[in-house]
Parts: sequence; C-alpha cells; structure tokens
Amino acid sequence: MNWLNRWWRRDQLERQLDAELRFHVDEETARLRSAGATAADARRIALASFGGLEPIKEAARDVRGTRWLEDAVHDLRYAARTMRKHPAFAIAAIASLAIGIGANTAIFGVVDALLIRPLPVPNPGELAYVTRSGPAAEGRRTLALTRFSRPAFLRYRSTLQTAHTSLAAMAPVNRMQLSVAGAGGDDGAELVLAQLISGDWFSVMGVAPQRGRLFTSADDEPSAAQPVAVLSDGYWARRFARDPSVIGQTIRLNGQALTVIGVAAPAFEGFIVGDPVDVWVPTGLQPQLHYASNADSTNGDVSKPWGPQEAIAWLTLVARVHPPATREGTTAVLDTAFRRDIEASAAATRNPQQRAYLLRTHAVLANGARGLSDVRDEFGRAVLVLMATVALVLLVACANLANLLMARSAARSREFAVRLSLGAGRARLVRQLLTESLLLSILAGIASVVLARAGSDGLLRLASDGPAPLPLDVSLSWPLVAFAIALSIATGVLFGLMPALRFSRSDVHDAIKTGGRGAAGGRLPGGRVLVVAQIALSFALLAGAMVFVRTLHNLLTIDPGFRAAHLVTAKFDPRMAGYTPATMASLRERLLEGARAIPGAQSAAVAMCGTMANCHAISDIDVPGRQGGVGDDNDVQEDYVTPGYFPALGMDIVSGRNFLQSDSDRTTKVAVVNEAMARHFFGNVNAVGKHFSEGDTFEIVGVVRDSRVNGLRETPPRMVFYPYSQHAAVPIRNVYVRVDGDVMSAAQNLRGVIRNADRGIAVREVVTLAELEERSIARERLVSTLTGAFGILAVAVACLGLYAMISYSVARRTNEIGIRLALGASLANVRWLVLRETIALVVFGIAAGIAVTMPALRFVAALLYGLSTRDPATLALAAATLCTVAIVAGAGPAWRASRVDPARALRAD
Amino acid sequence: MATSDRSDLLQGTLDMLILKTLELAPLHGYAIAQRINRTSQALLQVPQGSLYPALHRLENKGFLAADWTETESGREAKVYRLTRKGRARLHAEIADWRRLSDAIALILQSSVA
Repeated sequence: MNWLNRWWRRDQLERQLDAELRFHVDEETARLRSAGATAADARRIALASFGGLEPIKEAARDVRGTRWLEDAVHDLRYAARTMRKHPAFAIAAIASLAIGIGANTAIFGVVDALLIRPLPVPNPGELAYVTRSGPAAEGRRTLALTRFSRPAFLRYRSTLQTAHTSLAAMAPVNRMQLSVAGAGGDDGAELVLAQLISGDWFSVMGVAPQRGRLFTSADDEPSAAQPVAVLSDGYWARRFARDPSVIGQTIRLNGQALTVIGVAAPAFEGFIVGDPVDVWVPTGLQPQLHYASNADSTNGDVSKPWGPQEAIAWLTLVARVHPPATREGTTAVLDTAFRRDIEASAAATRNPQQRAYLLRTHAVLANGARGLSDVRDEFGRAVLVLMATVALVLLVACANLANLLMARSAARSREFAVRLSLGAGRARLVRQLLTESLLLSILAGIASVVLARAGSDGLLRLASDGPAPLPLDVSLSWPLVAFAIALSIATGVLFGLMPALRFSRSDVHDAIKTGGRGAAGGRLPGGRVLVVAQIALSFALLAGAMVFVRTLHNLLTIDPGFRAAHLVTAKFDPRMAGYTPATMASLRERLLEGARAIPGAQSAAVAMCGTMANCHAISDIDVPGRQGGVGDDNDVQEDYVTPGYFPALGMDIVSGRNFLQSDSDRTTKVAVVNEAMARHFFGNVNAVGKHFSEGDTFEIVGVVRDSRVNGLRETPPRMVFYPYSQHAAVPIRNVYVRVDGDVMSAAQNLRGVIRNADRGIAVREVVTLAELEERSIARERLVSTLTGAFGILAVAVACLGLYAMISYSVARRTNEIGIRLALGASLANVRWLVLRETIALVVFGIAAGIAVTMPALRFVAALLYGLSTRDPATLALAAATLCTVAIVAGAGPAWRASRVDPARALRAD
Repeated sequence: MATSDRSDLLQGTLDMLILKTLELAPLHGYAIAQRINRTSQALLQVPQGSLYPALHRLENKGFLAADWTETESGREAKVYRLTRKGRARLHAEIADWRRLSDAIALILQSSVA
C-alpha cells in the first residue's frame, strides 16, 4: 500500500479510523462500568484518557504520508475558487503571462535552432572548420573567410592526418537545376540546394547512409567511373516520397547526368545551418556542373576546371579532431602549413605594406559543433536582442502581477491574520498563495505553447530574405515545451513569492485590530519597488525600440541611388540549362527583344550581378602611377551590363557617356565606373578618359551615380561596369524592365519572355526592385517591429501597474485625505500630494532605466544605422514619452483623491 | 504537523512494545494497550494518544497487517498482526535495545564506583 493508494482510499481510511477509535472508547467505557462507574462517568473518563479524539485523528492522518497531497488539493481548490470569484483578474493575468511566455518560447525556439543546437551528428563537439584570423578577417562574413583552393586542401589534409585529425572540403550550398531523367525532359526542372563535397566529407561528418551508400574518395577523383549524387532525407521524402527504387536512378543536375547512390541519415541537412541541402555531389564535378560562384580568384582562370588551380579559393575545410588531439593543438599544426603558403604569396607581393598585412594572417580551427551559417551572422545578434526584449517584457508582466496580487493580498490580510492566530503555519500560508500564482502561470504556460508555435513560424517568415520562411527547424520539441513549462513555473514563483512572503508575516494583532487595513498603513513598500522596476524596464524597452525604429527610418529614407518603383527583375542562371559562352549572346538578344516588347516597357536591360541580387564579383585592379595601399585598397566590385541598365535602374550618368552599341570587340575596351570608384582612385580629377588594368587595359568612358547595389544597409561599393558588347561570353543572370504601368502584370509578362526564350531555364524568381529593397532590410524591420510592439506593450503594462498602485494608495489613504481636507488643505494641495508620489516613482524609474539602457545599447551597435548608441535625442524622447504617459496614468487617481468628501471619509471605518 | 512529535519520548520503545505484544497473538488496539499495561504490572501506561498513530505508522511501513474481524462482544474491530517483516524488525529492535541498556548499565556502574 503506497501513499498514492492511501490517498485514493482516504474516505474509507477515515471511516475506519473513526470506527477503530470509537471501539476503543466503547471498550474502555464497558471496562469502567463493570468496575462500578456510572454510565456518564465511565464515558467521560474513557474520553478524557484519550485526551481528545480529534488530535489523535490528526496524528493518525499525518502518518499516512498523504498530507502534502491533500493540502495541495485543498490549495488548488481554493485557488480555483478565488479565480472564479475574480474572473477578470484571472483572465487578464493568464492572457498577459501567456503572451509573455509564448513570446519567450517562440524566440527561444529560434535562438535554439540558430545559436544553440549542435548538428545532428555523432560527437558534434569534435567538428571544426578552418578559418583565418588577422586584419584581413575584419568585417568579413564568417563563411567568406573559410575559402581555400583544392591543392591547399590536399596539402593540409596530409599534414593533419598525422595529428589525429581528418579533413574534408565543401563548397557553399548553391542553387542548381535538377530534373529526373525520363520525366519529360527539362520541363520538370526545379531549383534545388546542392553542395559540392569531397569524397571523405560524410565520414568526417560521421553521417551514415540510410539507403545505398555515401561517397568515397574514389567518387571524387576526376577519373571517377561514373558521376554520382547523394540525396538528403528531406529531399528524398519531398521529391521521391521515400521511394527506395531511387537508388540507381539517373537525375540531371545543371544538365549533367548523375546516378543516385544513396540517401543520407535522417535529420541531417548539412553543415551550413539555414541552407538545408537537397543533393550532394563530389567536388570533382565542378566543371561538368558549371559551378562558378562564391570563389576568391587571384589571377586564376575561372573558365578552366578549378580543382587543380592554386589561385582559386572556393572550398571550406571541415575537420574532425579525434581525441586525444585537441582543437588548439591541431590549430598549431595547421597554422604551420598555412604560414608556408602565406609566406610564399607574401614573397611574391611587391608592396611592402601589403606584404606585412598578409603576414599577419593565421589559420584557426574554429568550433564547428553548430556548423557554419550566414543566417547566424545576419540574425544571431538580432535574435538575442529580441530574446532580451521579450524576457524584459515578461519581467514587466511579472512585476505587474506581483503588484496586483500584493494589493489583493493586502485586502485579505485580515483573513491571513486570523488563520495565523488559529495556528496555521506560515509555510502553509506561503504555499497556499504560491499555489494560486502557480495555477495562473501554468495555465498561461499551456496557452503559450500554442502561441509559441505560431510565433516561431511568423518570426522566420518576417526574417526571411525571400518568399519562403527561413529554413530553420523550430518544430515544437520536448526541450521547447520544457522551456515553456520551466519558464511558467519560474514566473509563477517570481510574481507569487513576494506577496506571499510579505503577507504571511503580517502582524496578527495589528491586522485584526485595524480591520484588514494592514500594518503598512496604506502603503505597499514592495509595491513601490515593483513599480519603479516596471518603469525602468519599460524605459529600456522603449528606448531600445526607438533606436531600432529610427534605424529603420534612416534606412527607408536613404537615397539608394536607383529608382526602385516600376521596376521588375527576373533572376535565373542559363548556365544551369546548358548555355555556353558561345550561345550566351543569342539568348541575351532574345531576352532583350522580348523584354522591350512587354506592354508599357520603357527600358530593358540584362546584367550579370545586378542590384541587390546578393552577388559580389570583386577584383583587384591596377591604376597606372598609383601605389596601392594595403588590404582591399585596390578592390572594386564589377558587373556586366547592357546600355539599358543605367536608364532602367534610374542611375544617372554624371560625367562622360553610357555604353554604345559601337563599343565592340574591335574598339577600345571601355568601362563605366561609379563616383565612389572615381573618388577612390582618381580623387578630384575627372576619371573619364583614365585607364586601369585588370588583365586587359580599360578606358573609363563614363561616371555613374553611386548606388546601394548590395542592399540599403551597405554603403555604395566602388563599382566598375563593363559592356556585354565587349564580353559576349559572360553569363546573364538578371533581366530588368522598367514599366510605366502595373508592375505585377509586367512581372507575369517577364516570366513569359524567359519561357519563350527557352523553356529549359528554371527562373529563380521574378520580383520587383521594391521587394528586393524591402528584403535587404528584413532584419531591421523585424527588430524594429517586434521591439516597437513589445516596447509599447511594456509601457502600457507599466502604466497600468502605476495607475493601480496609486489608486490603491489613494483608496487606503481616504481617511488621511479626509482629515487634510477637513483641516483646510486645498484641492490642489491634495492633488499635488498624490501626483508627487507618481512623479517620484517615474523619475526614479527612468533614472534606473537610463542606467540599465546605456551599457545595453552598446551591445546592439552593430544593428544600428545612422545613429550612435548613446544618441541623447532618443533617450530624451523615450524619457519624455514615458513621463507623459505615466503622469497621465497617475493623474486620474490624483483627481479622484481631491474629490474625497471629508465628512464621509472621516465617518467611514 | 505540530502533533507528530507528541510520541517522540516513547516512540522507539512504544513501537518495540507493540511489536512484542503482537508476537504472541493478533490483537486489536484496545487489547494491545491493556496487554502492555497488564504485562508491565501497570508500570507502563501506554499513552492513548500515541497508540493509534504508532499502529498506523507501523502498518504503513508493512511491519503490521490488519483485518476487521468480529470480537467476542460481537462488534467489528481492527485486529493487527505481525508480518514477517515486522518480526525481523522486532528482533532488530530488541537487539538494539539490549545494546543500549547494556551500555547505559555500564555507565551507571562506573559512575557509582
């Protein structure tokens, strides 16, 4: 018989206890009577020898070991009854907590997926990737720092093998065009995320096949018997409905036929978080797949196979460091090999400054347990800011509820005093009050789980830079539910403990005497601290929201240097559909012709990189007579365009001329540069007519206005444009059409134009420039929208708390106010008396808020645009706003105080 | 909660006395009290208030089992009997008690000498 069993049988046990004790008394009575006592005496003596039946029953109940459970059930019933009696309070409390806990859980889901969760591979802690440190690393994206050439990879791999470390290589995840052979040609082509990897990559990852086999080193040799591919579990399920016969089937990737040899383990999506891979292919297939992006090339020939070229860096190296080897120890071995390469290239550099700059670079093995991620670079800090924001909002809500509970407990202080004087334990009272708050918070926690799910999804959609949400797994997992439950319990204790401790301590005599008005004499000392805390926290939230809203505003009002309105663009890659340098020119003509024929088209153009298309072609140029500086001092960003590009984008030529049809292979090679480039390389001298070289020598024929081609946030780079008419072989990846009519129908028409030009080209998307502009500030919009909404919420909650607190204080001081009025205080005096309290609280709150906010803002500096982290105007505005709102909230009770009728106030009580 | 220390004074010994009394035959609560009283020649009065909590505690721990049976007077009474576990417990308690009283006796003798 365990305690649970006893608890279930407690009614029966209770009856038996009663029967047993009655039997005892009856037997004793019978014995006494037979010894000669009267019936009445015998009964009295028998009972007296027991010393009272009830205490014995209590003692017998205690030994059952179910007392705590019975108490808990009582407390719970009592709490439920209290809730039913004050449904408005209960609903408000549960709703505000559910929003708070839900928002925290939702954002924690994203934090977990993006920043915490390790890759689903065995021993993820042993994984590492090779990156660079030193001045060249500053301000660059993590992923862009990790590129190495294939010969360098092979060298490092043989070096590291002696140090218990296996090394593999992978290219960034890229979109490729996939079709299944025999499914009606390339019409069934779709864009998938594909990744080129070395043969031993899967074994370094520790990933096993769930079907077929994965790659071996032999698959990655240029001499491999047949080209092969491995599918991810997700893609196998999505495209092939987990059909096992897919093994051995042929697929076409960018036109290259590949045999599917296996499916990787479930849940594994690759090393790059936020880029879930559909298909893996060996790096040896780079030429056949026309893979030509995301590479650093210094004097390499990108049109020749990349594998043997030392000059093209395109592979990220991932390592598994087997114990007892450590990452630090292996880094030392790796860096020695890396430094040999660096010294060789430094020796070939003429510029001594550049040489010194290069020599400060080192190779580092960084922790790869959580993979690599551009999404993490972009959103990691923003997500943490949002996490902090919702945590603060929850704290404000907690403080507010603690305050409300405090006021309610104050009204019940007589009840508590009576119970204490009747012998109830203090712990028992605390437990009862905590049960009430925990019931509220746990109900809220349950509701929050539903909110959290919707919240996480919404967040990923808001943060996305494309039409689909960010591909992070935020499905409701047990850790997430556990987080929500833990958080709701913590909240319940947090807002319940303070009132509970405070009122279980109340002075029995005073409380009973003063009729429940409490010894505090109309004041809630803890309450003031809570209100100040609420104001301080909501100030921090408001000031934070304001800097983010101003950042967004700065970005929205910036002049991008192009005119986004009425502009449609299509993005695609004809190389994937089998176009070669020889056939590219005719495609270009067909596309331009079709685009110009779109109804309402004013100008049309094609470009290789285009504007805000997430494409950066960076090269080193030489300007005769100019001694280059260090680092990226000679870098320019390049693009290839047709003459229609500048008018279509609305970029004005400020000096010189646009490209002409007459610029051809037979005339001088020309380039148009932007103002930033002209300023950087030629200063105040007019750049038109100057020359520079990058392989060939080019003459600058025009200077165009600066534009934010890399997104609104990025300052205009130094740009060099080349005409397609002199570079016919360069791929076309964007078409632009400026229309004077409806952009949506123009987008439809543009899609048709590409289909007419070649049905085999899979269009990545057709989109307006305005949409691209919007996406380039997705992060700022996300952060400012959410911090703004939560900031307003926090201020509203804090003011509600302030209002409740002052109202309560006025109600408790009615008597005192009555006396003051009776003694001749003016109405203004009384109002000031009350208002003074409000102002003091607000001033304290804001001062504390500023103290908290100033250091916190430094953490978000990287997320701001166009304002400093200690922008005094923003802080002042936040303080003024909060002051005004708070004083308005406090004015109501003050006015009511002045309406107190002295006669009635004195008679009451 | 405050009532649990009421029998502390005699708790250890009371448990042992109950177990010992029940070693001979199953009895109901009243009879146990009477038996202890009589066997000790009225030197030991079982505190009535502690008896039932002690019986219930021993029952919950599995040292005693109880059945409702009809007594000579024709009424239903809860009759306790020793379980196998209770018997082992009794022997352990007796051994403990012997050791303790021997130790106390030694100390008392030495202080006299």
